[in-house]
Amino acid sequence: MLKVIQLDKTYGSDKHSLQSVDFTAQPGEVTAIIGPSGAGKTTILRSINQLIRDDSGQILLDDQDIRQANKAELRKIRHHIGMIFQNYNLISPLTALENVLHGRLGAKSTIAGMLGLYSDAEKTEALELLKEVGLQDYAYQRCDQLSGGQQQRVGIARALMQHPKMILCDEPIASLDPKSTKIVMDILRQLAREKQLIILINLHQVDIAMEYADHVVGINSGKIVFTGPTSDVDDTVLQNIYRQTDTSESVVSANEN
Amino acid sequence: MKTNYHSPQQFFRQRRLRLFTVLVILLGIYFTSMALVNFQTWNSITKIPAGLIWLFHNFIPTERSISSLGQILYQLWRTLLVSISSTVVASLFSLVFAILGAKTTTPNEAVRLIVRFGASLLRNIPVVAWAMILLFSFKQSDFTGFLALFFMTLGYLTRAFTETIEDLDAEKLQALQAVGANYFQCVFCGILPEAASTMTSWVLYMIENNLRDATLVGLLTGTGVGFLFDFYFKSFRYDAAGLIVLLIAVLVIVLELTSTQIRRAIA
Repeated sequence: MLKVIQLDKTYGSDKHSLQSVDFTAQPGEVTAIIGPSGAGKTTILRSINQLIRDDSGQILLDDQDIRQANKAELRKIRHHIGMIFQNYNLISPLTALENVLHGRLGAKSTIAGMLGLYSDAEKTEALELLKEVGLQDYAYQRCDQLSGGQQQRVGIARALMQHPKMILCDEPIASLDPKSTKIVMDILRQLAREKQLIILINLHQVDIAMEYADHVVGINSGKIVFTGPTSDVDDTVLQNIYRQTDTSESVVSANEN
Repeated sequence: MKTNYHSPQQFFRQRRLRLFTVLVILLGIYFTSMALVNFQTWNSITKIPAGLIWLFHNFIPTERSISSLGQILYQLWRTLLVSISSTVVASLFSLVFAILGAKTTTPNEAVRLIVRFGASLLRNIPVVAWAMILLFSFKQSDFTGFLALFFMTLGYLTRAFTETIEDLDAEKLQALQAVGANYFQCVFCGILPEAASTMTSWVLYMIENNLRDATLVGLLTGTGVGFLFDFYFKSFRYDAAGLIVLLIAVLVIVLELTSTQIRRAIA
């Protein structure tokens, strides 16, 4: 279980990016974080694997505080947290297979990782995972020759190669067409159910969140304004999540100036 | 900067006016500098045909030049090898320096500044100056030429590689960090594969460039095809000197075509 407690993050002196963020995400469930642009969705996600260092609070993954980990411990923790991105972030001149194998880097010695010395078992597993996401025919293709949806599936296979407890998904479908969106979201939901993973997704498409998420975290201006099962989300809740705040400049008033 | 115009007509009028002003300023600079150095444009232009005729008359290779062909080709070969080896060795060092000097991969800010400054220093000393300085320590030899090219290339490629690394998408490195990869793994599994094809292009470009420079350096260090050119030129064997120029041009073109092919194959 992932427990985020009183997470605070400040940029500069007064601009709060996150304010006392509290929520939990359960294994076997898809948890969606929704909210307007700039609300802090990405900051939350990247604080969880410490790509962004937060200021205070606790992030407990199976009761271990990620924020207290030293460099070596953090590497071990990260190894068990997969991450996929809006822009896929694969190493594009390398093949799909090599990118999936990168999922093992956190568990390998520096030298073995640098030189790409993977065991036969690892290679077989990588190919197996590509099969699982339906890309066995593309294993030896360069990633920049794959479509967006295919690249995202390679990203998922890379995350699975980490034997993750949790997969963080930062706007995973924002650059995808409806068909690829469905494929990717179906895979993610299936992973939550079958492998009992914690799937935490940033989304700006409410309809997708309503369709796929079991649990919704609503955020506005760095503050949690809703947490609960998806069935509890109604129009009032959505209006509250997506309301204009006083501090943010609205388009109309900007034009009047 | 003024961004509001009353009408599109006014916007285009102002843009035309700006272009015209730039043109007048450029012409002004040209005529002023011509006047200052006493250069008479028309006189110089009229002399060009006669000069060309003299060139063609004297520098066209004759049957006599063919007897020197073996020697010329041998020296050309050596010059090519020196330019390739200096570039290759320099590119290995540059790779290390570029990783130390690029914003995204530098271990700390002080190292980055030292690398930046060093590379800029090496790059901004002309290769001819390098050759003359090194002549004192290493005398007239192939090695002096090698070193002169090496230093200049080191400065140049370090800068080029640094920028190549900095242009890479930082998010891709974050993705590897998120997997749990450490610094060296990020460099070897992420940065090097991403940067490899651009860096190879730079190396190929530097080999072409260094072949031209090697000829010049050879004049000073008394080696290679540059020295041979100097030798024939000073002994009034213009036909053989012309043959050398021709062969260098052919070699550079062949090199350019080959590297274009290689670049296309690895892109």
